[in-house]
Amino acid sequence: MSAATPPVAVPPVPVAVPPVIVLGGGIAGLLAAHELGRHGVAAEVYEAGPRIAGMAASHTDADGFSYDVGAHFVTNRFMAALGMDVPCRTLPRYGEVVHLSPKKHPVYPIGLLGVPRFVRSAVWEKVRRPRRDLLLASDRFRHDYGRKLADEVALPLLEAWSGLPADQLSASVIDKIPTGLAQTIWLRIAQRITKRAVMIGYCKEEPSATGVFHVYPEGGVAAICQHVANGLAQPVHVGQAAEKIYTDGERVTGVRIAGRDIETNTVISTLPINRLPQLIEGSDRLDRFRRFQFRGLVLVNLKLTGRELLPDVIVWTPHGFPYFRVTEAPLAMPWIAPDDKTMILCEFGAQPGDDVWAMTDEEAVERCVSTLDPLIPDVRSRLLGASVLRQPLGYPVFALDYEPDRAALAAEGTGIAGLYSVGRNGEFDHILMEDTFWRLRRRIPAIARDHQRCTMTATLIKGDNDEHSTI
Amino acid sequence: MAADERKLVTLQHVACCICGGVDGTPVGVGEDFEYHTTPHSFLAVRCPTCDLIYLDPRPTAASLSVIYPDEYHAFAFDEEQFGLVHKVRSRLEARRLLRAGRGLPADAHVLDVGCGDGFHLDLLRKHGPSGWQLHGVDTDARAVAAARQRGLNVEECPVELSALEPGSIDFALCIQTIEHVGDPVAILRAIGNLLKPGGRLYLITDNTGSPDFKITRGRHWGGYHFPRHWNLFNKPSMRKLAAAADLEVEKLSTTTSPVNWTYSIRNTLVDWHAPKWMVNRFSLKAAPALAIFTALDSAFTIIGRGALLRVILRRSK
Repeated sequence: MSAATPPVAVPPVPVAVPPVIVLGGGIAGLLAAHELGRHGVAAEVYEAGPRIAGMAASHTDADGFSYDVGAHFVTNRFMAALGMDVPCRTLPRYGEVVHLSPKKHPVYPIGLLGVPRFVRSAVWEKVRRPRRDLLLASDRFRHDYGRKLADEVALPLLEAWSGLPADQLSASVIDKIPTGLAQTIWLRIAQRITKRAVMIGYCKEEPSATGVFHVYPEGGVAAICQHVANGLAQPVHVGQAAEKIYTDGERVTGVRIAGRDIETNTVISTLPINRLPQLIEGSDRLDRFRRFQFRGLVLVNLKLTGRELLPDVIVWTPHGFPYFRVTEAPLAMPWIAPDDKTMILCEFGAQPGDDVWAMTDEEAVERCVSTLDPLIPDVRSRLLGASVLRQPLGYPVFALDYEPDRAALAAEGTGIAGLYSVGRNGEFDHILMEDTFWRLRRRIPAIARDHQRCTMTATLIKGDNDEHSTI
Repeated sequence: MAADERKLVTLQHVACCICGGVDGTPVGVGEDFEYHTTPHSFLAVRCPTCDLIYLDPRPTAASLSVIYPDEYHAFAFDEEQFGLVHKVRSRLEARRLLRAGRGLPADAHVLDVGCGDGFHLDLLRKHGPSGWQLHGVDTDARAVAAARQRGLNVEECPVELSALEPGSIDFALCIQTIEHVGDPVAILRAIGNLLKPGGRLYLITDNTGSPDFKITRGRHWGGYHFPRHWNLFNKPSMRKLAAAADLEVEKLSTTTSPVNWTYSIRNTLVDWHAPKWMVNRFSLKAAPALAIFTALDSAFTIIGRGALLRVILRRSK
């Protein structure tokens, strides 16, 4: 300390905690920044695309049909937790059936118990084989649901949306239905009584209840993203792609975004986990995630005359169709199509570069129209138009090949201190928007504490150095 | 209120009013089933540290005029409208109050915090010793006007801003008020400041340790009173609140009320679109339902799990 300094106690300089860097301005990134804000930690969100909520953007075409990816998974509980500031409409119904030839539509999952051969084989399987750890998805499905149900329904669907044979998939792909049978029946009764789409099993992080149901906020998922973004202390930086994440081998030290280096000790990434390793400098710990694969989807949306063309909102098609699922969203959200018109969505499992992915739009539409007959007999005469969307990040593939690495990611995170990979693509998990939210709510307190602790330590060390240098 | 008259309100995220934590976990989600003032859904969360149940997010102070409409019952609980129920409730409440105020000097100063239309002060005036000096505070102009109309001495301000002399009050009441306020700790501290050393506060609030909460907490519990009850307590969280406000717990018990039971059922029926005649069997004017639930809740009160918490807090000497 120099002699000129007055001999008074200098109050400690308030430590300015640098912001956490959030990569990705989709729903997961925005929610992460929102939760950090509640814990008093500033966050800067960087989005590579030209606007927030890329995939979630809603739009209405010239014929009055609205497109809103994932909108039917929003619940009143999720909207209440966010304090959503727009009116929400309640979905009048939501349900799934399985199409079993010829023309049988058992309701999923209860109705499948009404098929005697499924029940017989499920009971036989339980009696014959004791419970044990089964590593293959095929073995596990057959054990849990019986050979007949597994082979006729579950495994063909699993293979269609995974793109791999079931004996090359890990048993951990099985999504335990979070509600028991008795509760499921009770929730379906509540759905009838209340005339609301009571949420059954669409959130793994918080329980189903008769008072939790699907809603549609005015403006759709894009409106949710906008609402969360509006509540952030800092505006989202759009058009700014992350180029590098610097580490000292153990911990994050900074990021390079749009050519600019930024110092930070905490990064929350929502990028697909298999792309994250490309950004990491100073560590190869994430390289094991490079081979994780996402299954793509080709989504064909047919605009048709009429309504109530399908027996329920979702029809699973394990056999006899080139797509694995057909959806009539206007049954759940009547307002997304003009009166007496509807939209039928056919979903093909595909991989960029394969034959299905490479179909022209016309071919894709023709493949749907020429095969939908068993479900919608006069589909060709009803057709008003169609659109095709190719989604490369449809589902995470739970390949047996990299199962230990997937399990490690789920249990331990990225392996680099201060680097968190969140959201559906970041966590490589079958989770929906509300799951992402509740998971972040649970994870963020520890992330915020760690960020603040590291910043304090860094500042103290830096402060010491500064003092030494002046002596 | 018709559906199209409902207004959107501004909401804000809040922390636990006792420990300041923001890690609340969801317990229930519901709407304004009673007055239909706003179309929002509201989330009740539980603080994992304090066991407090609170609304997060909740309406901002600027939204109070929307969520407390003119016909709100605390402003309009009159004999003409509520007949027999009014008579029975008056008698019961008078007896409870006088029992709680036993041993006070003949010239005691009594303050009712959140006095509403002056219902309780009026009971004390009618049934209590004539020498008691009665005061009231309430923040709602409509309530204060109604209380003044009764000839009561009521200030229109939050208790923190009351002009009463610090250390001047022998006995304070806070009856079904603490659940409506944003910062219960601040209110209790302010009351503690107005109490004489050794002075007592008699507090009544909804009990989240009651069986009706356990059964209907997911959505329809009457005690939520969405979105007007912001902080809800059980015995453990009430002890923590008292400690945070530097008040001693002299007595912590429960008392009987049929209201939450009645409204839990009414809310379920309203929410599930039951016919109007059925809904109307469950209201503050429906004597049979109130009688049945009074009997039921009396049984739970015996085992310490009545619908309301009854707390006597004391300013230490």
